[in-house]
Amino acid sequence: MSRTAAEIIKEFREIAAHPEKAIANHKRETGKGAVGIMPVYCPEEIVHASGYLPIGMWGAQKKTISKARTYLPPFACSIMQSVMELQLEGVYDELSAVIFSVPCDTLKCMSQKWHGKAPAIVFAHPQNRKNARKVADAYCREEYAIVKEKLEDILGVTITNSAIKESIAVYNENRAACRRFSDIVADYPGNICPSDRHAVLKSRWFMEKSKHTALLNELMAAIESEPKKKFTGKKVVVSGIMLEPYEVLDIFEENGLAIVADDLAQETRNFRQDVGNDEDALLALAKAWNDFDGCSLATDAAKPKGRILIDAVRKYDADAVIVCMMKFCDPEEFDYPILLQEFEEAGVRNLQIEIDQESTAFEQIKTRIQTFAEIL
Amino acid sequence: MYTLGIDVGSASSKAVILEDGKRVAASAVIQSGTGTSGPGRVMELVFDGLDISQKDMDYIVATGYGRFAVPFANKQMSEITCHAKGIHHLIPNARTIIDIGGQDAKAIRLDHKGNILKFVMNDKCAAGTGRFLDVMSRVLEIGLQEMGDAHFKADCPANVSSTCTVFAESEVISQLSKGVSKENIAAGVHRSIASKACSLVYRVGMEEKVVMCGGVAQDKGVVDAIEQELKKKILVADNPQTTGALGAALIAFELAGKSS
Repeated sequence: MSRTAAEIIKEFREIAAHPEKAIANHKRETGKGAVGIMPVYCPEEIVHASGYLPIGMWGAQKKTISKARTYLPPFACSIMQSVMELQLEGVYDELSAVIFSVPCDTLKCMSQKWHGKAPAIVFAHPQNRKNARKVADAYCREEYAIVKEKLEDILGVTITNSAIKESIAVYNENRAACRRFSDIVADYPGNICPSDRHAVLKSRWFMEKSKHTALLNELMAAIESEPKKKFTGKKVVVSGIMLEPYEVLDIFEENGLAIVADDLAQETRNFRQDVGNDEDALLALAKAWNDFDGCSLATDAAKPKGRILIDAVRKYDADAVIVCMMKFCDPEEFDYPILLQEFEEAGVRNLQIEIDQESTAFEQIKTRIQTFAEIL
Repeated sequence: MYTLGIDVGSASSKAVILEDGKRVAASAVIQSGTGTSGPGRVMELVFDGLDISQKDMDYIVATGYGRFAVPFANKQMSEITCHAKGIHHLIPNARTIIDIGGQDAKAIRLDHKGNILKFVMNDKCAAGTGRFLDVMSRVLEIGLQEMGDAHFKADCPANVSSTCTVFAESEVISQLSKGVSKENIAAGVHRSIASKACSLVYRVGMEEKVVMCGGVAQDKGVVDAIEQELKKKILVADNPQTTGALGAALIAFELAGKSS
């Protein structure tokens, strides 16, 4: 008998809440461990091709930060505070390696302060990726080649070009499924609440991608087979690095706001576009990065993020954009005034809320979101 | 028809009873906020001397930081919506509202119908709020009610530059130890609050008339500092501490009409 959407979402929520179980399961099934993927934008396909489980390191919700204060200034973003605290507690010690991209100053410094037992592999994305494209492709490919070589050394495996190509195909299939899921949620706002949507997409970070795709396909079939519930609230597009803790997502639901599309570094930005099918798999991954648009951490003087968000508002007939500003995320803060001006010119209603993983009090966010919902 | 608005803030509780959505039958303020006896006491006080009681209220709207801890309310509305409603009722040509309460500061832009066009709030920080003023008045040993008088006696306002309440407290203590007069420090404290509030106004976009409400609006030193910063005359709402409760009572009247 087929499962209901609620039953499948419960499984996704369980996976999203317990990445350690995902690692244990993968070890039991394959004999191989896991490689930590620090935010943001790591070419995960290289890890996937090694047979190890790429596992996202997005900190923890409502974690008290104490030990991390020894190593980080108070103005480091809350994901990094949380990741530092967890690594000092030994939570990441069972990882076989950790991969750092360094698109912002905080990540650059964090990568040099890694205190976990697993070796850290650090690579840099090209900065002049849009105005010196060929050089940027070549540079990025070489960085990815270094990541591959280091992984091979640490894990004791060989990662072939054809294995990476197969992994790219697995990831592209998953990206397509995630895009379709996001569209289905937009079509069924009364059926899938914001926190369910988030759990489904977050679990992607802790599952082997073909398994995530399979479970997602089962969920989408279940949603579409169930009656569409009436939705009388408002539709919003959210943007930012991530949208947690769950309490914040619950405030959206309590105030009748459905998330019909996102532009979050933890969610849609990872599956908005596919990786190409170049014969050289590393070059394909490099090109995908240089094609990638719309994140403050990905240098692009054209600043297309506002246009992407305004297009999403129009495509999904959304009522507004909510910018979820990661506390102390300089790149996002710098881009915000540009976004604000573009929203004003386009007549897009908008709100900014502050995201702090450590937070346990949500009254301010509640007031902002409730007021916004009252005036939309 | 009687409707009641109760505004349970972080530092005080306010209530307003409206008769037929027009006449204020009673209003009350207790200087204790959410999680204290304040909400209960303000409900007792607002009915004191009236021949009606809570059961005669056709609709009750709760607002403020503690709005979800008012079990007898028919509905909870945000304080931004309620202040906007209350101010538009009192001053229909208000277009920009500065509301500084116990732990929040907000700037709100209205259209000619009183609809909220935009709003911004302070960050999760006590700087520039009533709590900041409260801490500083204690350090200065000047009563909150006397801070305004001290402000106008200043001849060389001190610079209170810190954006953190705790650091600013240290800064004020340091100024005191250097012999800076309390009046000059009080004026510096007001300027510090004004700079935070005005940054919200700049973000929301200022349009006249600019109206101030919330408990901090009772400190004429803060009002003066904001006027100097914005270079505009600021109107202070009558009973600025109760405009949120008034707005809640007005919304309650509208909702009572809809529900009946």
